[in-house]
Amino acid sequence: MEAIWIYQFRLIVIGDSTVGKSCLLRRFTEGKFTDISDPTVGVDFFARLVEIEPGKRIKLQLWDTAGQERFRSITRSYYRNSVGGLLVFDLTNRRSFEHLKDWLEEAKMHVQPFQIVFLLVGHKCDLIQLRQVSREEAEKVALAFGMKYIETSAKDTVNVEESFTVLTRDIYERVKRGEISIQEDWEGVKSGFVPNVVHSSEEAVKPGRRCPC
Amino acid sequence: MYLKKSKSVGASSPLNGIGKQDWDSRRKRKMGEIAQALSVTPVDVAALRRMAISEGGLLTDEIRCQVWPKLLNMNTDNLPEKPAADLRENHKDYHQVLLDVRRSLRRFPPGMPDDQREGLQEELIDIILHVLDRNPQLHYYQGYHDIVVTFLLVLGERLATVLVEKLSTHHLRDFMDPTMDNTKHILNYLMPIIERVNPEVHDFMQQAEVGTIFALSWLITWFGHVLSDFRHVVRLYDFFLACHPLMPIYFAAVIVLHREEEVLECECDMASVHHLLSQIPQDLPYETLISRAGDLFVQFPPSEMAREAAQQHSQQTAASTFKDFELASAQQKPDSVLRRRRRERAAAQAQAQAQTQAQDMAVARPRARRLVRLAVMGLTVALGAAALAVVNTALEWAPKLDLHLFP
Repeated sequence: MEAIWIYQFRLIVIGDSTVGKSCLLRRFTEGKFTDISDPTVGVDFFARLVEIEPGKRIKLQLWDTAGQERFRSITRSYYRNSVGGLLVFDLTNRRSFEHLKDWLEEAKMHVQPFQIVFLLVGHKCDLIQLRQVSREEAEKVALAFGMKYIETSAKDTVNVEESFTVLTRDIYERVKRGEISIQEDWEGVKSGFVPNVVHSSEEAVKPGRRCPC
Repeated sequence: MYLKKSKSVGASSPLNGIGKQDWDSRRKRKMGEIAQALSVTPVDVAALRRMAISEGGLLTDEIRCQVWPKLLNMNTDNLPEKPAADLRENHKDYHQVLLDVRRSLRRFPPGMPDDQREGLQEELIDIILHVLDRNPQLHYYQGYHDIVVTFLLVLGERLATVLVEKLSTHHLRDFMDPTMDNTKHILNYLMPIIERVNPEVHDFMQQAEVGTIFALSWLITWFGHVLSDFRHVVRLYDFFLACHPLMPIYFAAVIVLHREEEVLECECDMASVHHLLSQIPQDLPYETLISRAGDLFVQFPPSEMAREAAQQHSQQTAASTFKDFELASAQQKPDSVLRRRRRERAAAQAQAQAQTQAQDMAVARPRARRLVRLAVMGLTVALGAAALAVVNTALEWAPKLDLHLFP
């Protein structure tokens, strides 16, 4: 039986090719890191629970996307059902920083009529010598975009946990304040309590089929 | 009877290590037959196709070097010179190719010395850029390198270059368009094939709204991206090279059907089913699955599936189908449109069913047909014949335009 969670949030991770999206996710969900990781072909899925307050868990569904431009016609269909996103760039790759605006526009265009809460992530902060984007500059951009900013390293496990927790907490607060609400036909936020009860009673009646639809 | 029920067939497969002696003698006989087919003039390509499809495939990489080019009707007399170095700097895709190849360590045999692997990676970059440069209509995609590396490791650089070029302009052509529209269209074959064999799995997946993106990397890398054992990859490539360009999507369907029980046990939501299916078990009974994919192909050929792939449950009129293509080409979200329409239609159907129960007038879905097992000879001959004229891309074989023939 899966651990009990109060909400499920669906998050999407976007950004240029090789900025380290998959590595960040693998570090967060599996605790592993490899220096070299295969490019993502299409869309990969990860999941993890985070404890937002003592005893209050949130289940994160995390969608990892291919960075190459031609895959956008596929990845863009994942925006609509996401409540949050990590917008990732590589601190050692100026270009990936310059493309942030394009990514954000792309997301905004395809998320309608919903909204996505983004966190700006400057990745690979362990590579101090190779840095091409300063913290101040990135913070300025984050402010202009209206999002928080964090610097991470999957290699040295810097702020990996924090980045996801900050975003999750941010969304959680908005849900509590009613700025984001659970809606039928939208997968961004789901409530954990009610459906779980329904599931378990259905399981007892129809083993092997848990489909409530 | 669904596919899963005949699982015992896999037990006799050579890869399962049962009946070893028997397999040894069959293997010897097969090697003799392949040598015979290669020795005649002109080469007996039909026989080679049968060998590539039937149990065990082409057996060794030495044989593959000889037979793979024949399967693509390639002329191997004039192999190209090493591509010029200036290709690298000038090509628009160079940067992306470089990034992807440099981080594809997983695709090289474990234990290979670093310098040897690095040399092969440079060759891999050269092959890809050579093919792209000579064919400006082709566009690089992440995953293409997963296919090319397999040919490089088996054939070596020069032969791989020629073969990959031919493959890229034929079998892989649809994946290399400027957009992924045709790739998405090929993915649309998946659900109708599944529906024919196991409507329950199909309905469950539809209800979960899982879509077909879990199979995207399977399709465009010919499973090279997701299978970790190189022997399995080359065995599949024997099969795919000998068959119709759409065979990989039939194979994808067979994998889903093979996992029928797991799918039905899974929580009926998009993420759960996507997650389950995208993780391919590494111990699949490949020989069994290959022969099932062949069976499915013969019984539900692309020409028959094309309509359904295109319509994908839209109403049975050419007009609404055309609408779907309009949506697709306008880069809207055909998937969600189709989903909505499917839901609306399901609701309408339920209503109609209630009203006309007595007359049994409910809109019928294509009935699931019992999967007939074909004799291996019959199967390989049929597949070989279908593939003999391999000159076209997958979609030219079963074009979207077929729609006009089926109003």
